Amino acid sequence: MTITRRAAFMGAAALTLCKPAFAQAAWPTKPLRTFVGFPAGSSPDLLARIVTDPLATALGQPIVIENKPGAGGVIGIQQMLNAKDKDYTFGTTINGPMTTAPRLMPNLGYDVATDIMPIVLVATSPLVLVVAADFPANDLAGFIAAAGKEPEALSYGSVGKGSGAHLTAELFSDRAGVEMLHVPFTSYAPVTTAIIGHEIDAGFMAPSAAMQYVKAGTLKILGITSQKPFAQAPGVPVMAGQAGLPADFRAELWNAFIAPTGTDPAIIKTLNTDINTILADGAVQKRLEDMGWQAAGGTPEDLQQRIAQDTKIWGAVLDRIDAKN
Amino acid sequence: MSGWDGFLHGLSVALQPGVLIYCVLGVVLGTFVGVLPGIGAMATISLLLPITYYLSPEAALIMLAGVYYGSQYGGAVASILLRLPGTPQSAVTTLDGYPLAQQGRAGVALFTSMISSFLGSFFGIFVLILLSGVLSRAATAFGAADYAAMMLLGLVAASTIGAKHPAKGFAMVVLGLILGCVGTDVNSGEQRFTFGQTELMDGVNLVALAMGLFGVAEVIANIHVAERTGVPRRIALRELLPSRAELRRIPFPALRGASLGSFFGALPGTGSTISSFLAYAAERRISRHPERFGNGAIEGVAGPEAANNAAAISAFVPTLTLGIPGDPIMALMLGALVIHGVQPGPLMLAERPDMFWGLIASFGIGNLLLLVLNLPLIGIWVSMLRIPFRWLYPAILIFVCLGVYSVRGSSFDIFAVALIGAIGYALSLARFNPALLLLGFVLGPLIETNLRRALLISRGDPMVFLHRPIAAAFVLATAALLAMSLLQAIRRKSRGPDRVASVNGEAE
Repeated sequence: MTITRRAAFMGAAALTLCKPAFAQAAWPTKPLRTFVGFPAGSSPDLLARIVTDPLATALGQPIVIENKPGAGGVIGIQQMLNAKDKDYTFGTTINGPMTTAPRLMPNLGYDVATDIMPIVLVATSPLVLVVAADFPANDLAGFIAAAGKEPEALSYGSVGKGSGAHLTAELFSDRAGVEMLHVPFTSYAPVTTAIIGHEIDAGFMAPSAAMQYVKAGTLKILGITSQKPFAQAPGVPVMAGQAGLPADFRAELWNAFIAPTGTDPAIIKTLNTDINTILADGAVQKRLEDMGWQAAGGTPEDLQQRIAQDTKIWGAVLDRIDAKN
Repeated sequence: MSGWDGFLHGLSVALQPGVLIYCVLGVVLGTFVGVLPGIGAMATISLLLPITYYLSPEAALIMLAGVYYGSQYGGAVASILLRLPGTPQSAVTTLDGYPLAQQGRAGVALFTSMISSFLGSFFGIFVLILLSGVLSRAATAFGAADYAAMMLLGLVAASTIGAKHPAKGFAMVVLGLILGCVGTDVNSGEQRFTFGQTELMDGVNLVALAMGLFGVAEVIANIHVAERTGVPRRIALRELLPSRAELRRIPFPALRGASLGSFFGALPGTGSTISSFLAYAAERRISRHPERFGNGAIEGVAGPEAANNAAAISAFVPTLTLGIPGDPIMALMLGALVIHGVQPGPLMLAERPDMFWGLIASFGIGNLLLLVLNLPLIGIWVSMLRIPFRWLYPAILIFVCLGVYSVRGSSFDIFAVALIGAIGYALSLARFNPALLLLGFVLGPLIETNLRRALLISRGDPMVFLHRPIAAAFVLATAALLAMSLLQAIRRKSRGPDRVASVNGEAE
């Protein structure tokens, strides 16, 4: 009798103890929220949806996209960190809020190292150096020679201080040993117009944004910032190792999935595995390529490393910019 | 493909049942969300975006575009009846539309706005068919110096709108310019007047500003009013329609507005806002009775409404043929196209004629539908005014909050709209004109960034504003306008104080 009762008690206790484990196995039991720091229809938003649609199917729960645009993607991260729904709150981010934002914004409100858990790198996009179709030089060496004639002989457009286009151009100038005049704009479209209209000479932009104009004969591309040639920019030479640039020259925008610190590591692992599976799918890769992005993937540690690397590279570029002013 | 062939080809695309139904859906939806204060095309299009995955690219674009221009019709309803403009363009419509409604002539104002919108849209479509090539070149011909000079003209011309008390109008423009400074400085990356608030880094939310200054301020102003006066109990159809004399005052202002709108709309940026304000300023300037403006002038509704609808049409030119979106809504539509693997740009006309001309043709169909849909609705809209305040105003506040929140999902903006509403009420007590504040707010940052960019590119040489022909033309026009206003002021003064008093008396 006693034994049976004890056994029953033990059994009940075991059940109680198991409960969290069962709940864990059943995760997710309700819809997930993914914060995107950019408006609906923007490229980070579309990237997020390409991944979350199949991810929702894999997890068996809907994924709600919360667009919280503003401050270059920083507001989306702040909102993700404010959400109290542990294990059900995630975010996608571009590189800026993870790497350069801490330098550029004194009131950031989060620490990348302690507040963010990386999940996986989703996709990367290199930038291409474009000039007007009738620009005198036809290759990178000619461009560098023209830019090197005197300081600020050539001007370039970016989408604001600290933007990918700005930092890439400054990294390029530093490695090539030239000085170019920086003309900030608010978005890529007017940069393109200004180059076509000969107001400015050059600019770094996404290949997908530039290819159309190349086909239409109004722009030409002198090089790409990735380490390998890029499917979306056929025939465009890699800049690294060319015209005196170091072989490790690389500048890429990226997009990643992240979670707030405190998320169950097992969940991070599940999400990482599922998203890696999605990114290995040819149809998903094709959709990303159509938008000018290359599927990435890898472990959370890979992403962690990428964040650290880029923070260092761009931090050095920012130092150089600050020293100039 | 020439314009007309293209248009006819487009009709064959847009009239396919599978496409037509989405055009109808878009314009109907657009009208209704346009009427709801604060919930504009922007929120609706972003909500519809995921649905467009399942449509053909033509149907998707035509539906979203229908929401966009359909909401312009609906937006006029909210501006005229309730003084609730969701955009700076519709703020201009409130200037004379709302006084008309207060005089019990809401039906006439709505009729005028709908006919003018229709005329403006069709004018825009014809210009597009005939001149799409020229219009798409205009955007690349305009440099930073040209934009700065153009916006300066817009600002100076429109500042005279509140000329009853020029100093008060001027004060509003300047306040708008100051508010426009809030946010991250593009050139240095420094934050200005953000007081450490991340939410202010991209500036004050335009929708919150418009809704606060107009909608919320109006609600506060009506708290102590028992019930509305001047609304007829039963409305006969004849009272909804303008008299023959009034009808005659619609076509010419509408055509002038439409020409301004077609031109400025094709320039990415704030073409639509500038053209509405310019159309209003132009009508007021050429009118023989400028004192009627602000008190319910038909022309003051017809001109700007035609202008913003024409601009809504020609704004598609840079978006589609250059891939340059003029405003956030256009950017959203570009996003919709990118989802479907269509990259708008210089090759669009050659590679996707179905889509380009199908869209243009759908504008014609859509606007015809809007007119047919909206004219019979005038009676119903006007009867909205008979809803008791105790129901109407709380409902308005709820919609305002929803609308403001929908822009970027920020609760900060809800508090902002409350604060701005209180300020707006104070301004209206002092008889300031908040429409001018909106103008300054929208144009200020654009003038600043373009001015600085122009000087940066010219390496600091201010002569760039006179060397570039387009910029020089705008600078000269601005100077001429200022000289004219100055002359008028001097002449008026020399005529003696009696005359001035009588003019003011009429206008008050």
